[in-house]
Parts: sequence; C-alpha cells; structure tokens
Amino acid sequence: MSRFMEPLIVGRVVGEVVDIFTPSLRMNVIYNSTKEVANGHELMPSVIISKPRVEIDGEDMRTAYTLIMTDPDAPSPSDPYLREHLHWMVTDIPGTTDASFGKETVGYETPKQVVGIHRYVFLLFKQSGRQTVRTPATRDHFNTRRFSEENGLGLPVAAVYFNAQRETASRRR
Amino acid sequence: MASFSSGFCCAITGTSNGSNSRWSMASLRSALPPSVPLRPPPSSRFPRMAVAFQPKHKLALRSYTGLAPLQSLPFPIASPEFSSFSHCFKIIDNGGRVFAMRHGRRVPKLNRPPDQRRALLRSLTTQLLKHGRIKTTRARASAMRKYVDKMITLAKDGSLHKRRQALGFIYEKQIVHALFAEVPDRYGERNGGYTRIIRTLPRRGDNAPMAYIELV
Repeated sequence: MSRFMEPLIVGRVVGEVVDIFTPSLRMNVIYNSTKEVANGHELMPSVIISKPRVEIDGEDMRTAYTLIMTDPDAPSPSDPYLREHLHWMVTDIPGTTDASFGKETVGYETPKQVVGIHRYVFLLFKQSGRQTVRTPATRDHFNTRRFSEENGLGLPVAAVYFNAQRETASRRR
Repeated sequence: MASFSSGFCCAITGTSNGSNSRWSMASLRSALPPSVPLRPPPSSRFPRMAVAFQPKHKLALRSYTGLAPLQSLPFPIASPEFSSFSHCFKIIDNGGRVFAMRHGRRVPKLNRPPDQRRALLRSLTTQLLKHGRIKTTRARASAMRKYVDKMITLAKDGSLHKRRQALGFIYEKQIVHALFAEVPDRYGERNGGYTRIIRTLPRRGDNAPMAYIELV
C-alpha cells in the first residue's frame, strides 16, 4: 500500500497534517463530476467553488465516517501562522455511500488563495459510533491530530490532496 | 480496453486510486499489436518525456515499445562519434545534443546568456521566498536550490554585512527584512537543505517537465 502513501509523504501531508497510516479504504473526490482529485495535481479555483462529490468504499452501511477538508498552508505557504484552516467537515457518513448522506457540521467554504500555492487535504476518519464527533469552534488554527485525539478517531483511513493557486488575469494554462 | 493512449491517460489521472487494479496486464497485452522482438538500443530513442514520469508509471510504459518501429531509422551516418564506445546520443528535435552522463558540467546554463541567467535566478529566489511554494520547470527548480540556500544562510548569520549582501541579490527589500526576522526560529536547527522539489505533470503548451519547489 506504499504506492498510495508515497505522494502523501513527499508532499508532506503525512508529516505536517497527520502521522503515517495505512490506508484501508478507497476515497474518490470529484469536482463538477469530471475533475477527479489526484495527489499533488493542481486544480483551477473556478473548479473548486462548490463542494465535491466524495465517494467512499466501506464494508457496510453501519460504520460511520468523518470527512475533513483542511488547508495546512493558511494564509500563505511561506508563513503558515493560521495552520490549518478548516474548509469542510461532514460527520456520520455511512460506509459505501458518499458525503451527501452525512451531516455537514462545518459547511463547505470556497477556498480563497491570497498568496502562493496551497495544498488542500481531504482526510477520512472512522468513527467509533454515531454522533460522537464534536464541531470545532473556529475554522482557523485547526489541528487535525488534536481533533482526532479529542474525538477518538485515531489515524485516518484515507487521504488525498490537491494544489491550487490564485488565478490571475494573465494566467494561462 | 480501447487504444493504449486512453489507458495511458488513465495511468496519469488515477494513480492514487490504484488504477492498475481496474485493468490487467493480460488484457492490455492482448489488445496491443505483438511487441517488437528487437530490443531498442540502450541509447533509447524514446521521447525524453517518457523517462521523466514517476517510477510507478513504468509498469504501464513498458508496453510502450509498440511504437518503437515508427522511429527505427538508423543512426545518422554523418555523426562522427557514432563509433565511439562511451558516447550515447538521444535524438532531440531542436538539434541539441544530449549525452547520458553529466561529466564536467558545473553550471546549469538554462538556455540563457549569463546576465539573463543571473536575473532569472534572482527573480525565482525572490518569488520563492515571497510565496513559499512556486511551480516552475525542473531544470530551473534544481538550479535555484543553491541560491535559495545561500540566501537562507546569509539570513542565519544575520549581521549587517550579510544583510546588505542579501539586499543586493533579492529584488524586494521587504522580503529580505522578513527573511532575516524569521529564519533563526524557522531554520535554526536545520543544517542545509532548506528546499524541497516535488515533480509534477508536464506543462500543456510545450510538455516541459514541471516541478513544485517549496521551502521546507
């Protein structure tokens, strides 16, 4: 399974956001029903305005999962003093379905890049029971490790990340 | 499975989802024309971009030998070094000669005269120190590393002379002052290697191999 982990380790998602884990589920994140998120690829800001469709594998519909989307490079990768910024959180997602079946505790916020190229990380955690996850008070200064310890989520079961930067008028593909 | 090119695109976009499990090598091999019995010579005439992809794509690219017959022209007879044992050519469209080794090459020239090269490297390091992560071509990213490390080393020293040396290199003085203020906490324990390069997909317009370079 190190094939899945290598891009996460190279992109320092594993070092800065979570600790090293073994992915046990498949998670597909698709924006606008055509753009699939692959580790380290770059997406245009116009694509990521509205929330994506997140499909997860699982064994059955009884296990509940939590999806978190954070930006570890807030407000700028050269000086991330607001690390991390929480963009989206959906809890109580039943296995083998997608994120629209869960409860959206923190609504999807369109990523706005001011400076630099930001990484946006999707993490999937397995909950021990239903409705065990507490909503955080603020979006800034979010710490994924501390949050998963507080809510008993442990290590993530799946992760993916993409890059995005501000689209200036002169920027060509 | 349709043509190989669609499978190739599949390998690029679906790497993290284990696309190898969706189609098997056996079905792919049967769909392709029979592979060429002749192995391509070690100075392979594959387009250079095939080598630059990540190692996990090699499994898909090994079947790429199906296209080798299209380029099976003999070596140009006029080349004087063909008979020499240690030289290996790659055929590049723009007429540049590329060797397989890097013997004696000290300075990356970046296809520019010296004054423009210096200006390019100065502006790239300024932008990297300002934004924290930038996306450029791989040659520029690996050429920049030396200058970024030099600037951070100057900031670690922190004296007035070093500050003035940094001001003479970096284009914006706000960045120099911010750098001198934060480098001691951020890179105090780290000895060298202040940047990281992550290779990424080629650029659409000219298929140039791209990379992200970021401050560690």
